[in-house]
Amino acid sequence: MLKSFFGGVHPPGFKTSTKNKNIRPAALPKKIILPLSQHTGSSAEPVVSPGDYVEAGAVIAKATGFISSNIHSSVSGKVLAIEPAAHPVLGKCRAIIIEPELQQKRLDSIKDCADSGFDPGKLNPADILDAVSSAGIVGMGGAAFPAHVKLSPPKNKKIDTLIINAAECEPYLTCDHRLLLERPIDIINGIKILANVLGVKKCIVGIEDNKCDSAEVIRNASILKSDIKVVPLHTKYPQGSEKQLIDAMLDKEVPSGGLPFDAGVVVHNVATALAIYEAVALNKPLYERVVTVSGDCIKDPANLLVKIGTPASELAAECGGFIKKPKKIIFGGPMMGVAQPSEDAPVIKGTSGILFLSKDIAGEYNEGVCIRCGACVRACPMYLEPTTIYYAAKKARFDIVNDLCALDCIECGACSFDCPARLELSGIIKYAKAMIKK
Amino acid sequence: MKLNNFWLEFKKGIIVENPTFALVLGLCPTLAVSNTVQNALGMGIAATFVLLGSNMIISALRRFLPPAIRIPCYIVIIAAFVTMVELFMKAYLPALDKALGIFVPLIVVNCIVLGRAEAFANKNKVIDSIADALGIGAGFTLALIIIATIRESLGAGLGVLMMIMAPGALLTLGFLIGAVNWYRIIKKKRALELGCASCAKCKE
Amino acid sequence: MSMYTISPAPHIKSKDSTNRIMWFVVAAILPTAIAGVWIFGPHAAWLILASVAAAVLTEAALGRLMKKPVTVTDGSAVITGLLLACNLPAGAPVWIAVLGSFFAIAIVKCAFGGLGKNIFNPALAGRAFLMLSWPAHMTTWQNPRFWPDVVSSATPLAKNAVEIMGPGSKPSLWDMFIGNRGGCIGEVCVIAILVGAGFLLYKGYIKWYTPIVYILTVGILSRLAGGSFIFSILAGGLMFGAFFMATDMVTTPLTPGGQALFGLGCGIITFAIRKWGGYPEGVSYSILIMNAATPMIDRLTKRRVFGKKKR
Repeated sequence: MLKSFFGGVHPPGFKTSTKNKNIRPAALPKKIILPLSQHTGSSAEPVVSPGDYVEAGAVIAKATGFISSNIHSSVSGKVLAIEPAAHPVLGKCRAIIIEPELQQKRLDSIKDCADSGFDPGKLNPADILDAVSSAGIVGMGGAAFPAHVKLSPPKNKKIDTLIINAAECEPYLTCDHRLLLERPIDIINGIKILANVLGVKKCIVGIEDNKCDSAEVIRNASILKSDIKVVPLHTKYPQGSEKQLIDAMLDKEVPSGGLPFDAGVVVHNVATALAIYEAVALNKPLYERVVTVSGDCIKDPANLLVKIGTPASELAAECGGFIKKPKKIIFGGPMMGVAQPSEDAPVIKGTSGILFLSKDIAGEYNEGVCIRCGACVRACPMYLEPTTIYYAAKKARFDIVNDLCALDCIECGACSFDCPARLELSGIIKYAKAMIKK
Repeated sequence: MKLNNFWLEFKKGIIVENPTFALVLGLCPTLAVSNTVQNALGMGIAATFVLLGSNMIISALRRFLPPAIRIPCYIVIIAAFVTMVELFMKAYLPALDKALGIFVPLIVVNCIVLGRAEAFANKNKVIDSIADALGIGAGFTLALIIIATIRESLGAGLGVLMMIMAPGALLTLGFLIGAVNWYRIIKKKRALELGCASCAKCKE
Repeated sequence: MSMYTISPAPHIKSKDSTNRIMWFVVAAILPTAIAGVWIFGPHAAWLILASVAAAVLTEAALGRLMKKPVTVTDGSAVITGLLLACNLPAGAPVWIAVLGSFFAIAIVKCAFGGLGKNIFNPALAGRAFLMLSWPAHMTTWQNPRFWPDVVSSATPLAKNAVEIMGPGSKPSLWDMFIGNRGGCIGEVCVIAILVGAGFLLYKGYIKWYTPIVYILTVGILSRLAGGSFIFSILAGGLMFGAFFMATDMVTTPLTPGGQALFGLGCGIITFAIRKWGGYPEGVSYSILIMNAATPMIDRLTKRRVFGKKKR
């Protein structure tokens, strides 16, 4: 039986254009923009200055504190400047700008394949944590929470389950799907490393049932290392949201305001598991990732292995340019992604996709009036009443908004998607949450 | 000077502090007996008489009524006048008495009468209280007649039976209060516009 | 300034817009209306047309007058007109339909703030207005046109009003199912109602909670009171009201639990009016009463928020 959660919506998948395309490396960009804040937490502090020469994989900015992350150069070349530049989430952010050289060099310490006797089960957890944090690994599903923090649960919380999130419930995105198909052994090794650090026996990989092929591949690959279980999930948005995933797979609710730790669970994305494997076994910091470049305006949608810091414009050109005029450029998926004012924003560690959508798909709608149809109530995976919160927020009654538990909203956008009156429910609730926190 | 004051107290009861449309008091008789103009007029006059009498007496006695038991005192005074009205009606206007039924004795607990006693007569001179009673009474009678005119002409005249039943009263009252508020908003807006152009006090 | 549109996520929306839902509901009521015309003859068609036209014109005129965006194209006025006409006896004069529609739109809908803001179901409140104002016109039922005599008859419910809800000797249950009986234009042909309701349920525009709970409540209560289960659910406007009016989105509760509770309340009140009330039929008043209770139900049936303990 397929596991699922209560609520949710069924957006069209739009995945066919890229789901059968192999991951291929993107061409070297002309310019690399590496924002100092690519993660949740305090931004990194640069350790290079303009004019310096850096190799690919070299640390160029150091973490400032526990919840922060190192940043590495993704190319070899000359540091041009450290100045504010476009950022896909924050709009503008201080960034290190590097001009790649033609003949790329990377740090000698980075290996091409793991040592012959490599066994993830025999590593020392402290060494792993050290490698993860110095490699600057963050959650690659979108939230970009530093991975070493997620791997260091508070002592009083007992962690018994590791969930690998391969739901990929956002339409268009296929990068995790492709990774599962193409690098199953490495991902399994990454999962073993994670299990080792956390000291858990139970590892589950959650995959939506529209990606049965990858579930099969990973199941076959994990047959020798049998304590990894693959669980098919109902294809429904937001299946890949941490709380909903835990609910669906373990029938446990993360308490309001709590973290997965509180339910005894750690959730990591597939891409993060792979990056952790590469960091630990190959000594390779996180400086490139797989990005789905898609949308109805793109001539040749693809899954690209992209150097972090590559601007969106270069990726559009890489995929054959536009066949229609894009109306929106979105970093991330169409449900939760951020619309961009220009093509300048670079790929950062948490960017799983870049979408170029025309007005046919990302249409503009006028907000109507609520007819109390209850679509948002049925869609909300957190069991809120979006329309009630919406109208309270519109009247600036943030006390009522708070009473209606708006702070529990995960901003998945399911309510706005299903609203027949086209109300910007999740947008307004997001704003109201910010007002309450102030 | 004095006459001017009297006139002001009288006028405010009709429009600005109209008991039905502005203060929204005494709705029970308003809804119940505004089905015909005749009933409305009878009720209006009866209430005005009680109001006049009670306001006058309470105002005259306002220094002698012990504050702790003033409300029971008002009730006794009001009840006396209501009994007078009731007996008078039974004697000379039996048809009207039958139509108004229980609502005549109920004037005793009418919020308008009690409200004016507590809010006005208790604090003001006899002459002002008389003006107030006449104004409020006239306002109440007027409101009743307006509602009754609409209800009777639609209900009995055009045959929309609902209008002379309870829902008709609620609807009519609702729309009339709406209209009064609308008029007030427009007036306020106009006053604001004029005020800013002419006085400019806020800029000082 | 910027080349690309910036807006909050999500950037894609589902196909179902308010307009689309409304027009689908219109489509779902049409079989019932057509069946009514087939059963009662052309006068029913005139009533339906007049009612819809009056509703649409009233809404357009008031939109103009109140300087609000005219929302005629969203189909909600058409639904009100159709529902109201379906609630009229087939022999009612045309002006009754026009006045009812006017009242429904102008007073019950627009005076409360228009689409989405009305407390009561406009069509039902319109019917209540007509019922109170012109009871004679509203309770003169017509027989189906195939019947030999054209004498007006009562609805099956009124026929055996004494031993309410006992199995009716005439018409047979089959006649009641296909609509071969006296009654309002829209309430007689149960099979047409079920076709439309099935379509809406399949499309997901109405949920089963309210109508099923409503119908079952009436049926079970009637059975307990010694009547017939099937007769009580086929009789009167129960099917029509349960599927098309107790499911009106604006005036019913938001949450599934609230909707079920709404259905339960409607069922109990309908049964009570049928059994003890002065009217033979209680569907419309029961729904109106529960409309008034909707805000309370909404408050009562707030769901437990994910990750919070039960309050």
